[in-house]
Amino acid sequence: MNETDRILTKKDINRAQTRWFMSLEYPNSFERLQAVSFCSAMSGPLKKLYKDDHDGLVDGLNRHLEFYNTEGTIGGLPLGLIISLEEQMKIDQNVEPEVITNLKVGLMGPIAGIGDTLIQGTLKSIWFALACSLGMQGNYVAVLLPFLHPITVFTVSRYLANLGYKLGMGAIDQVINSGLMTRIIDAAAILGLFMMGALSSSYVKLSTVLSFSIGEQKIVLQDILDQLVPGILPLACIFGIVWYFKNKKQNYLLLVFTIIALGMLGSAIGVF
Amino acid sequence: MSGNFSLALLSTLLYSVNIPGYGTSAAYKSPIFLGMIYGIYFGDVKQGIIVGATIQLMYLGLVATGNNIPADSALAGIIAIPIAMSSGLEPSAAVALGVPFGILGTFFNQIKRTFNIPLTHYADRKAAEGNIKEIRRVAFIYPATLLFLVEVIPVFILSYLGPTASTFLVEKLPAWVTGGLAVAGGVLPAIGFALMIVQLGRREILPYYFIGFFLVKYLDLGTMAVAIFGVCLALIVFFGGSSKNQDNNNGNNGDNTGEDEYSADYE
Repeated sequence: MNETDRILTKKDINRAQTRWFMSLEYPNSFERLQAVSFCSAMSGPLKKLYKDDHDGLVDGLNRHLEFYNTEGTIGGLPLGLIISLEEQMKIDQNVEPEVITNLKVGLMGPIAGIGDTLIQGTLKSIWFALACSLGMQGNYVAVLLPFLHPITVFTVSRYLANLGYKLGMGAIDQVINSGLMTRIIDAAAILGLFMMGALSSSYVKLSTVLSFSIGEQKIVLQDILDQLVPGILPLACIFGIVWYFKNKKQNYLLLVFTIIALGMLGSAIGVF
Repeated sequence: MSGNFSLALLSTLLYSVNIPGYGTSAAYKSPIFLGMIYGIYFGDVKQGIIVGATIQLMYLGLVATGNNIPADSALAGIIAIPIAMSSGLEPSAAVALGVPFGILGTFFNQIKRTFNIPLTHYADRKAAEGNIKEIRRVAFIYPATLLFLVEVIPVFILSYLGPTASTFLVEKLPAWVTGGLAVAGGVLPAIGFALMIVQLGRREILPYYFIGFFLVKYLDLGTMAVAIFGVCLALIVFFGGSSKNQDNNNGNNGDNTGEDEYSADYE
């Protein structure tokens, strides 16, 4: 396919990406998850490619109503790529429909892994953590920070959709599997962990009021703990929960109510 | 028991009105943003933001746990923020009161994704006709409307009775219960941080967590200072890694979410 043969324009890619972004949260079903969102995103390009071929259009729509699930931000990349393949299939007739379906299935996992760590796990948490930290000081700017999340998501996913369309199939592996991607993820995870360490230090609070007397001297347990390792109780809570999540069933409900019950128990018997 | 009609109406609208966009609901339904709105309603914007931020904190790490959303911070927010604002309850104790509502809220997500199954089948039928317009409606307007209809009545009842009932309870509660709630409120944010560690904390980079933790404990650094140091550290690692061959990592960072991550569901 030559560049001059291209039917679709940048505008078509941007529109498809906008539909993808706008739709993602709503038609999600247990059965096929993001299928409808992806199909809706593809509908524009498909309509343009198959404007005088009703059967081709129907096949295309059906093709993209199959199970699909990935992280939406980095998911811009496969969206752009699939659009470019659909176009290539129409123009050159040298792409089998199965290739497109297989590629979608193959890409959604790795893309989800990257987006999960980078966007949902790190970037989003950092915006919200900054918002919390400013907000608890009563700073009005805090209210704006959560909105940086969807703005970042939209911008990154638009860039990636255009990149995916431009690069086509060969280059996409390079992007996903390159050392660069690993380094970006590592750096982001480090920034995330570092920030979470700092914030948990400020905002997870637990101290004991226990004290005992040896002869004349009254010893306050918390003072001793503070001299040994400041923040040891909150730290113990956090890593107790980490242990729980890694080794036990991830029963969030049970965990929350255990914490509340222990808090009340400790408060009643005068430990906290 | 009498509720507050205008407050309940406000809460219902804040919760049930759907705005399209990936991640937008995380922002406009964030307790911190809701806190500002309630702050305006109760005439103390600053306190509203403080309460909202305190509740937000507990849900920090819950953003990306994949398949099941363990808690709905928005429903916790529309119940707990008005309680804290009207009863003068400590924000940290209000956090704990919001918890059951946060869990209740996850059912809406389950219902939504069940109701969306027949909608998806409807999209199949329309695809067979080549009816793009209807597919696009299934992509937002139909499920958003359906979700609104499902949510609006229960949310109204909850937000009509919830704060009044909770405030009534809080006044009758013995000191060890409110004290215990405040203790729990101090510990509950640990869940969010723990989830982040489970997700990101491979053994070799876990020390960065402790550096952050003890920098604040010993030096009392502010958030912006921490952010600046954090970005510097990340850049050092980013550029430091460029000389090594890390291609065998294949871009998959081997986080601890296990096999679930591929089937996880991102909203």
